[in-house]
Amino acid sequence: MNQWLDDRLHISRLNDKFLRKAFPVHHSFFLGEITLFSLIILILTGILLALSYEPSNSMVVNSFDPGTADAPNLVPAAYHSALKINAAPFGDMLRRIHHWTANIMVAASVIHMMRIYFTGAFKKPREINWWIGMLLLIFAALTAVTGYVLPYDNYAYNTLKVIYSIAASIPWVGEWVAQAAFAGKFPGDGVIPRVYGYHIMLLPGILLALTAAHMLIMIKQKHTQPQYAKRIAYKKIVGVPLMTQQTPIMLMLTLLFAGIIVLFSAFIPVHPVEYFGPPSTTPIDNIKPDWYLLWVFGVLAIIPGFEFNFLGGNINSEFVGAILLPTLTLGAMFAVPMLDRSRENLYYAENPTNHPVRLGIGVAFMMLLAVWSVAGYKPELISAGILTTENANTVLWIATFLVPALSYFFVQAVVRGIRALRESDARDRANFQAADD
Amino acid sequence: MTRYKRQDPEITRRKFINVAMGTTAAVGGVSLLSTLGAANPVFRLTADKMPPLEGDILVHAEESKEGRPITVADLSTQLVRAWAMGKDEDGNDVIRKGDPNNILALYRFPQGQLVAPTNLEATVDGQIVAYSDICTHAGCSVSDSDINAGQMRCPCHSGEYDPKRGAIVTGGPPPKPLAQLPIRQDGDRLVVAGFFLTPPYPYHNSEAEWNNVKQEVEEALT
Repeated sequence: MNQWLDDRLHISRLNDKFLRKAFPVHHSFFLGEITLFSLIILILTGILLALSYEPSNSMVVNSFDPGTADAPNLVPAAYHSALKINAAPFGDMLRRIHHWTANIMVAASVIHMMRIYFTGAFKKPREINWWIGMLLLIFAALTAVTGYVLPYDNYAYNTLKVIYSIAASIPWVGEWVAQAAFAGKFPGDGVIPRVYGYHIMLLPGILLALTAAHMLIMIKQKHTQPQYAKRIAYKKIVGVPLMTQQTPIMLMLTLLFAGIIVLFSAFIPVHPVEYFGPPSTTPIDNIKPDWYLLWVFGVLAIIPGFEFNFLGGNINSEFVGAILLPTLTLGAMFAVPMLDRSRENLYYAENPTNHPVRLGIGVAFMMLLAVWSVAGYKPELISAGILTTENANTVLWIATFLVPALSYFFVQAVVRGIRALRESDARDRANFQAADD
Repeated sequence: MTRYKRQDPEITRRKFINVAMGTTAAVGGVSLLSTLGAANPVFRLTADKMPPLEGDILVHAEESKEGRPITVADLSTQLVRAWAMGKDEDGNDVIRKGDPNNILALYRFPQGQLVAPTNLEATVDGQIVAYSDICTHAGCSVSDSDINAGQMRCPCHSGEYDPKRGAIVTGGPPPKPLAQLPIRQDGDRLVVAGFFLTPPYPYHNSEAEWNNVKQEVEEALT
């Protein structure tokens, strides 16, 4: 049979080109794989959920609590189908697995990017893959946000409202953009079908295409080699082939990972639609986005209110906080490979302590996002008595500048310490050697 | 390569195909763009989507008593959410909740507590005041603050307003105070006395936009 297939599909060529691809042996290289497995789990559970989900915000009688003939209890069809999914055998579990995998996918990709950044793996020739990776991160977040909206409970409704108004805050074209994106004035009759289209067709399509490009480029360019490869065989590719060594490792990782997610999902409930209830004008206390968008939320919470007119366009704090600032932040991340001026191709992952400035800036950047995320908890900080309404913004703004600066210098100090230790080690070794001679 | 470029008097096949493909791509691209126009559906101003109008009575918005007229006794220094209820073209009662931005916040304070910049003439006896309950920042519904007693707080990005002083912004990112709605008392009912005094959300960006809406509503009514 192998011969028969080979005659038609030239599997031996595939084998040489792809299945023999060498994978470096280091645990930090699994982060990208975890992201990939998450995407696969998300697509599988997403298909199952889509089979039972009704993408419509028209009102239907709630079959769980029909009310009376005179006053039927009407809820949006999407919300009703979410209730039905929860009531179905394994239905709630399916939603939980989908939710947790989505969170872990973003987490794994963020840590994956940290690995790439701190070891310099974004350098020539891998700039393009850094940019594709950035797009993957952005589109993954967008997919997650649109997925949030689909159960169309009160939480989703309020989230959607904020997303709509953020889109509408773009000067000049905002109102048109928001209406075109969400099928008319909020909440349009077609808003759920529209967001559903984004979440199950458009965005996953983009994610899959970008993932394919990401991996093809990675196969073409090969992994950056870990430091040990330099010692074993300089300028040679060191690693285990995909078939048959890396595959069992991958399978084990998948099973372990899937097991952890199922364990998570079994014990930690997510987004209880019954608790939030159907869309209403009763606001939800302390509504918050998921952790990876908390920094944008935090910026909005501490930015002072302002608006001014610029050439007929309205620039307000919402646009600056929710669109301009995140664009600048993501722009800085996009620019990372361009700040590197090396002409040589990078073969080996770099030791972060050999590049203290890059390391320091990276840590400072993460601390900045951490401070902004903490700012997202402003109401909690105030009600816990840590801050007061009067000083909260001032304190958080000072922290915005101070904490990243301090962490930069802290990193420099630690790196110096590590270097001093390394140098004294080298001195000792040299002395011993001299004594031996 | 020859030094002389051959001058072909006729159009080459390659050129013809290139031009044809280019034209097809351009026409196709433009026609795809036209579907973008359809992405934004037409907005029809129906009675349930109009902002609160003069003569509308105020009814409870809370789910358990939705549609029941609000009496003075229902009100206190705690926020009460309300819809305006008016008539549609056929004269039937219609709650104007087709646009969720029409939600209102009602308060009753002891005499003398409501102060400028609240428009006292638009209140009932300087005691009962009505505001748009939509935060002027990102359009969430505003609640009584759980942190500062007597203040209003938006749960979305911590915008704070003072309901006794014309709902001015006392904290957070909102750019403008909540819009005040003029009301009067008619028997034991509360009745809307006119349009919002300042542009409410989502028209807070420009006065002109809000004026257009008011004009549109008046045209639709006549």
